[in-house]
Amino acid sequence: MRRLRTTGVLLAAGLLAAACSSSSGSGSSSGGGSNSSAASTVTISNEAGQLWSCGFSPYNGSTNFLSTGFVYEPLVFVNPLQNGKTTPMLATAWTWGAGNKTLTFTIRKGVKFNNGTAMTPADVVFTFNMLKKFPALDLPGDWAVLSSVKQTGSDQVTMTFKAPAVPYFYYIAGQTPIVPAAIWSKIANPVTYNDPHPVGTGPFMVNPCTGQNITYTANPHFWQPGLPHIKKVQYPAFTSNNTANDQLANGQAQWGSQYIPNIKAFYTSKSPDNHYWFPPTVNVSLVPNLTNPLLANVKVRQAMSMAIDRAKVSSIGESGYEPPANQAGIVTPTFSSWLDSSLTSKYNFSFNPAKAKAVLASAGFHPGSDGIMVNSKGQKLAFTVINVGDYSDWVASMQVIQQNLKAIGIQLTPNNLAAPSFNAALYSGKYQLAYYDQQSFGPGPYYELRNWLDSHNTAPIGKTAVSNYERYINPAVDKLLVTYAGTTSTAEQHSIVRQLEQVMLTQLPVIPVVEAVDWYQYNTGKISGWPTPSNPYAQPAAYAYPDMEQVLLHLQPK
Amino acid sequence: MSMPISGVSTAGPAGPAGPEPATGAPAGPAAPPATRALSRMARAVRSNRKATVGAVLLGIFILVGLFPGLIAHDNPNADAYAPRLGISTAHLLGTTAYGQDMFAQVIWGTRNVLIIAFVAGLATTGIAVLVGVAAAYLGGLWDGSLSLFTDVLLVIPIFPLLIVIAAYLHGGTTIVLILVITVTSWSYTARQLRSQALSLRNRDFLAAARVRGERRLYIIVVEVIPTMTSLLVACFLTNALYAVLFASSLQFIGLGDPNTVSWGTMLYWAQNNAALQTGQPMWAIAPGACIAVLGAAFALLNYAFDEIGNPALRSVRRTRVKRAG
Amino acid sequence: MRFAFRRAGFFLLTLWIALTINFLLPRLMPGNPALAMVSKFHGQLNPQALHALEILFGINTQTSLWQQYVTYLHNVFTGNFGTSMSFYPASVRSVIGGAIWWTVGLVGVATVLAFVLGTGLGIVSAWRRGGQLDSVVPPVFVIASAVPYFWVAMVLVLIFGISLHWLPYIGGYNVSSDTPSLSPSYFGDVLSHALLPAAALLITTIGTWILTMRNAMITTLAEDYVRMARAKGLPGRRIMLDYAARNAILPNLTGFAMSLGFVVSGAILIEYVFNYPGVGYMLLQAVSGEDYPLMQALFLLITVAVLVAILIADIATALLDPRTRTAG
Repeated sequence: MRRLRTTGVLLAAGLLAAACSSSSGSGSSSGGGSNSSAASTVTISNEAGQLWSCGFSPYNGSTNFLSTGFVYEPLVFVNPLQNGKTTPMLATAWTWGAGNKTLTFTIRKGVKFNNGTAMTPADVVFTFNMLKKFPALDLPGDWAVLSSVKQTGSDQVTMTFKAPAVPYFYYIAGQTPIVPAAIWSKIANPVTYNDPHPVGTGPFMVNPCTGQNITYTANPHFWQPGLPHIKKVQYPAFTSNNTANDQLANGQAQWGSQYIPNIKAFYTSKSPDNHYWFPPTVNVSLVPNLTNPLLANVKVRQAMSMAIDRAKVSSIGESGYEPPANQAGIVTPTFSSWLDSSLTSKYNFSFNPAKAKAVLASAGFHPGSDGIMVNSKGQKLAFTVINVGDYSDWVASMQVIQQNLKAIGIQLTPNNLAAPSFNAALYSGKYQLAYYDQQSFGPGPYYELRNWLDSHNTAPIGKTAVSNYERYINPAVDKLLVTYAGTTSTAEQHSIVRQLEQVMLTQLPVIPVVEAVDWYQYNTGKISGWPTPSNPYAQPAAYAYPDMEQVLLHLQPK
Repeated sequence: MSMPISGVSTAGPAGPAGPEPATGAPAGPAAPPATRALSRMARAVRSNRKATVGAVLLGIFILVGLFPGLIAHDNPNADAYAPRLGISTAHLLGTTAYGQDMFAQVIWGTRNVLIIAFVAGLATTGIAVLVGVAAAYLGGLWDGSLSLFTDVLLVIPIFPLLIVIAAYLHGGTTIVLILVITVTSWSYTARQLRSQALSLRNRDFLAAARVRGERRLYIIVVEVIPTMTSLLVACFLTNALYAVLFASSLQFIGLGDPNTVSWGTMLYWAQNNAALQTGQPMWAIAPGACIAVLGAAFALLNYAFDEIGNPALRSVRRTRVKRAG
Repeated sequence: MRFAFRRAGFFLLTLWIALTINFLLPRLMPGNPALAMVSKFHGQLNPQALHALEILFGINTQTSLWQQYVTYLHNVFTGNFGTSMSFYPASVRSVIGGAIWWTVGLVGVATVLAFVLGTGLGIVSAWRRGGQLDSVVPPVFVIASAVPYFWVAMVLVLIFGISLHWLPYIGGYNVSSDTPSLSPSYFGDVLSHALLPAAALLITTIGTWILTMRNAMITTLAEDYVRMARAKGLPGRRIMLDYAARNAILPNLTGFAMSLGFVVSGAILIEYVFNYPGVGYMLLQAVSGEDYPLMQALFLLITVAVLVAILIADIATALLDPRTRTAG
């Protein structure tokens, strides 16, 4: 029939148009066969919620996870999962000077950038001073503690500190990728520089990038001989979790960094080579606004902490992926060696609704006619809690917490916000309770605790607090944190952390509920060398930088 | 959500007076009171098989919505059971990934859906009556501007508008959903009511009322509207159907309140937990089927009212149809 | 001609109202939703982009509402929709440009197919009233018209994608193994990914056409001229197509345009279920990422597309049906 034939033409035309114009990035790729049939190709499945902009600046917060580690390298690799175990990278050795006020690195010789030019200490000095000149670039925050960086000797660079800041080794040595001075010195404004063809010392180069996919190929000038064994890495852009999960489930991606619901049915059951591991990193906590008069009462917070069934939040809200946290704020098993179990048994916050009710009673609260606890002044324990609406596991966790607290007479009304609104409310302190985790992770509990407890990280209500959202101010704790920063003695560090745990257990500035994890799936069918719980040589998520470099260097075809 | 099926004129926005087949309830010379119209409708429903099925289904849902506790004994919100259980006598539809009983959720969710359907359906129909009948009866400039306004709103795609409004409001509770849906979806039925009212304008009984000296408002409310009863019911059914579909869709994409128990929010959670891919299809299929069945009930009833309104559509009894070839 | 002017005038009026709604909505909402977005991007945007945002949402400007409105209209007509927040730093225009063809392909083809097949079935079903087809088709499709689009999509995914593994059900093409190119393997990939979404759209929309056409046909078949044609002894098929269908299809044509709004709505949900990278999917992404510039632009795009389709259908109807011309 005539009509059908026209329809057939329309069908073809429509899909032709779709096919031709579908690439929305910087033009279609050269159609190079990206079929990962070769065993030395690894495809990553990490949903970033956006198409790639094909910018690779290592000092731009939205693109650095695509280049730091793949293309750029830091001086030292510091493994947060092994209590800060160090692996020399662009620096071969380092020493702390007197009073820990200087740090001298010996820079490795014979390292080349991927365009063949040599990497020298001058590049290191340039990189640090560029961060000083353009504070917007200083993502690691090095210049908060540094006063100068100079070349001292033919292959040595010395950093001078304003005051001792030993923990900052992680940021300075481990989180500051080195860029070539020859290229970056010519950029007028590196803050807006896109860096579309990144030149670094790392094992891979970008070749090519489209909006839908980034292909990394091995750097022929890489300073570690014979490495990488993996010759190609594909990093497709996913805008939804489902698509990314599907790629893992059907085996097209081997390295996943995804939240997968019901992972056994979805992923591990599909193949005996599919594995996953979720190493805990930081606490996801119920964050009280300590300027709220009711929440300022420590007994109210104690009751809350005792009333939350953390095991249930973990199993129901997080499908068991995120283990229950402890009120001491120490993430286990990652930092178990820091946890003082005598303290946690002394201040016991395990699930005990009866005890919670007793604590509330001792604070002068009794159940009102509607079941909500109220005090003699008529103030009710009814709060709103803001949450990131996009994270359905957090929304589900909050439902469990809501039910737990309802059982002891505290009413929670969740307010699920989109990320920008949530951040605005959290940073400015315009909330009563919030559910959140710290966004940065370090090789010890100090890093997270400092984020929560250091009064320099907070701000009055209405102004932006950097990480101390609950508005906790305690000069004694500030002093402890400063002392920690000045020492390299592990014994002293442990003693200070123990005191910080005491603060967490007695003052409850925040209430940790579960432990956030690195999302990590891997397929051992054709590739070996993956990080595992028994061999946690790096943070295993593909979005962890610069750890993914270590993973890629360990991987090899079977 | 396809276009509403109706035998009443679907002549496009070609202007105030498009070609219209005979519409409206067959009215005798004297204005029939509303009760007689209702009893006539009841008879029509009973005699039309499709409408009877629709009415029975709707009745079942209403019963479930009124007395959910009698049917489902579990608390739909409580994460009380082991997650992801399959179908069993203890859990007729299994449990969700959070350990909630799915059957209880479906049963208790009926209430939320029916509230949305009836409240939004009534409110939307109310606005449509106001605008449509007023435009027809007031005539002139009023008619022109109201019709233009209606036509414009008719043409703007409703669902994207709903999404945008709901997005600015950061999603909302049931009340917000009802409000948003009411404000945007009255235009289609307003058009229908206007055409109907226009065709009635010059009927004898209305001329008699005018001669008697009755005020315009009285005529509109007491004389015109009761004669449109069957069309009003049909409009209500259409609007209720669309309210259900729009509300469920908004809840599905996350613009409702994920903490309420409703079919749309069940679908939202199912989608977020990849229910289909992880062997829990009931979590998505069951609430969706309920929406479909409730929608079908409204649509079947509506179908019957079409046939009341447009005699040409009435199903031919088993007399031989002349087949010319 | 006068008719065409009237219709064009109506089109322009509706366009203007849609633009104004788009302009006013963020300013009417409680708590100015865009303020949070602007403050979030304060550090990351260059001053021009930030200023453009502020103009778009009327934040921090000293100018009057009218002045903002004029600037907004000017920006829209020069195609400047600002920078996308969730696809930063891509401009809204480039983001939409990438997605639009997927939707046009999918929705366009599926709708035309549904219209053609549905109208055909409606004609036949009305012609053989009381027959087998007619007793099955109307009730089935009445019910089908009440089924939510996304549910049909989910059922298709479950049956053909997950249980039987016959067809892919996620995305427009396989992103990790295919790159957009003029190769048969890419086309095949695109086609296989388009089948299920197109089927979902087809199943849910075809009911409307069948039933509207059937109802219109039945009404037309009762007309005198049809009876005259039968009396004259013309062959049945000829009467069915040339006399009845031709006249009955006209209301369907304008109904086609009107229902395009619904088709678009359904397409949004179907794209969501299938993660199909079209404008509907992008709209939902913009919503969850609070990417208001993108959201506004997509809303405008969808509205304008529907308007244009209606305008075309109206003009086509006017050309084909003299009755509407005189009545208008």
